[in-house]
Amino acid sequence: MTYSLEVKNLTKRFGNILAVDNVSFEVPDGSIFGLIGRNGAGKTTTIRMMMGIYLPDSGEIILNGAKIGQDFKNKVGYLPEERGLYKKMKVMDTLLYFAELKGKFGKEIIKKAEEYLKKFELYDRRFSKIEDLSKGNQQKVQFITTILHDPDFIILDEPFSGLDPINTNLLKDIILEMRQKGKVIILSTHLIDYAEKMCDYVAMINQGKIILKGPLKEIKSKYSQKNVSLTYEGDISFLKENPMIEKIENFGNTTGIRIKEPHQVQQLLKLLVDRNVVIKQFNANDISLYEIFIELAGKDENNKKIESLIC
Amino acid sequence: MLNYRILAVLKRELKERLFSKAFIITTFLIPGLMIFVVGLQVLLRSTESKNLNFEFITEDQKLIDRFKKELLQSDFVTKRNYNFNFYSMSKEKLYEYIQKKRNEITEEKLTGIIFIPSSTLKDKRVEYYSKSPQNLTLSRELEEPINKVLVDVYFMNKALSQEELNFVRKGIDFSGFKVSKDENIKKEGYGNLILAYVFSLLLYISLLVIGQLTMQSVIEEKSNRIVEIVLSSVNPKELMIGKILGASITGLVQMGIWIFTIIGITSFSWVMLPEDLIMTIDPKIVAYVLLSFFIGLVLFISLFATIGAIFDNPQDASSGIAPIIMLIIVPFFIAISIMEDPNKPYAEIASMLPFFSVIVMPSRMSLVDVPNWQLFVSILLNILSIFALFPIAGKIYRVGILVTGKKPKWSEVIRWLKYKY
Repeated sequence: MTYSLEVKNLTKRFGNILAVDNVSFEVPDGSIFGLIGRNGAGKTTTIRMMMGIYLPDSGEIILNGAKIGQDFKNKVGYLPEERGLYKKMKVMDTLLYFAELKGKFGKEIIKKAEEYLKKFELYDRRFSKIEDLSKGNQQKVQFITTILHDPDFIILDEPFSGLDPINTNLLKDIILEMRQKGKVIILSTHLIDYAEKMCDYVAMINQGKIILKGPLKEIKSKYSQKNVSLTYEGDISFLKENPMIEKIENFGNTTGIRIKEPHQVQQLLKLLVDRNVVIKQFNANDISLYEIFIELAGKDENNKKIESLIC
Repeated sequence: MLNYRILAVLKRELKERLFSKAFIITTFLIPGLMIFVVGLQVLLRSTESKNLNFEFITEDQKLIDRFKKELLQSDFVTKRNYNFNFYSMSKEKLYEYIQKKRNEITEEKLTGIIFIPSSTLKDKRVEYYSKSPQNLTLSRELEEPINKVLVDVYFMNKALSQEELNFVRKGIDFSGFKVSKDENIKKEGYGNLILAYVFSLLLYISLLVIGQLTMQSVIEEKSNRIVEIVLSSVNPKELMIGKILGASITGLVQMGIWIFTIIGITSFSWVMLPEDLIMTIDPKIVAYVLLSFFIGLVLFISLFATIGAIFDNPQDASSGIAPIIMLIIVPFFIAISIMEDPNKPYAEIASMLPFFSVIVMPSRMSLVDVPNWQLFVSILLNILSIFALFPIAGKIYRVGILVTGKKPKWSEVIRWLKYKY
């Protein structure tokens, strides 16, 4: 596995608040990398340091063995969590301006902008002012500005916030398409379900610290050994008393059950069948990223109130 | 120093500013207003007022014919619609007469009664009874012929030659001559005073307008969260330089349009402007004003942009902007005050002081000859101020532009300077 982009020991303090604490992770080439954590965990601050918007107190970001500079900025498409465009500017002007800031201009970029506008069904609005577009269309324009200059790295900070389901799907498709083209996508989100569906690699950040990182599959298989994810009809309250059950957690549609020993899975299944529970789905060795996150991040939450950090 | 990113920002700023409503309105409305005012004056001067009827009454009957002769010859009577009727009566009678004429006077059928008592020959006091007795035009016009008659009568029996009489009749004509390093000594009217005033006013307006526009644009970028996307491509210094240059060039264009409009108006309406009001616009002054104004814009706009970066709405920013506005208003008042006397002791200092010189120097320059070294020093000090200010302003801008939420305290802003960004 090659890592062209590495984040090494990043630390950032705002006054007395330690927003990012010695964060390191590696982003593998051609992957979707998820930076996940709660609001205020330090995701945005980390990303802003990667973008050179904040200078880290210590630590560095390495690209192909060298510290990043303006070169990196030109290769990145960045969609910040807090989005905004010049309201009085026209759609086309907006797209061309942001491409120009990345050093891309000329006929080719105009052609490409037109292509994207057609793809996003905005072509007939290209001379409208941004303020005259609907919120959803503004977000589309914003997303085009992120990818128009054909970046190698795409950093998306909470990309799904505020999107309706159709635009969410559109965005998801584009992200997957970008990965196919060999781009590196860094996705920061607190929506762990999305991250689980899309990411190849994840780093979990909590209170400024990385608490877990690695390939998603490995992480899941490591944490899933004693886990069963169950969809059923009927009553399973009897399990609570059972000595082989360590924990039951209800996630709405599915229920996560943790047993004490891996070999007890068959016993659990038998028990459920014996008790006339209608089993719709029984997934042994399955755990959601959400469960892992709750398990890891929830540990110290009981005795310590999470401070809200500047993000 | 100028890379494509700065140029891209600069281009966008220019495009947005030069086509903004505020710019178009202030740039074209102000010269338009000036043309209107000048035109209006010319128009007002050329329109005749309605028929004016005067009664000219002397206490001494012997004087009547002399006044009649003199007045009916005067330009203002022959060329304009002033009508005079001449009577003679004693002072006691006059009061009764005025009572009788009261209605005519209040209804303006009779504009006024000019009364020359016998005592006038001793003290030159003339009385004027009217509904509107403060009539400057009338007193100005009447002064000369009346004085002439009085002088003639006074010296009538004394052996004086006509030449001596002419001398005595004459008032004093106080002409100002400007002595400068030029070889020619020019007769100078009020034109340069007006020029000084116009310069001060235009510089003052432009600094305020362009400064506030820039501040608003920084606030917009900050509150609309555009800045984070921009900063993912451009570093804050580049963004700031691009914005400041864009705004400064806009200001320069505006000032250029104004100054050349003035030059246009004054040279076009040469004939219409009274001789006293002719302005001499030295190309050196124009060059200096444009250069010093551009540097001044860079200096002031860095301050405006910094204030804009601290606050995220115009209401909060208005409190922060007050000290900067003082830096524009105080020099403006100094510039106005030195018009009374350009040699006031503070004039020289204020015209070289950073920030102040931008407004004070052009005004001083159009009134007196300023040594070249002072012009040089004023510009140099402004440039040095830019270099001194820029690192601090840049830092505050850099931190401030990403901080949103509650209005920051000044102590916090000072703490920003210590942040590592």
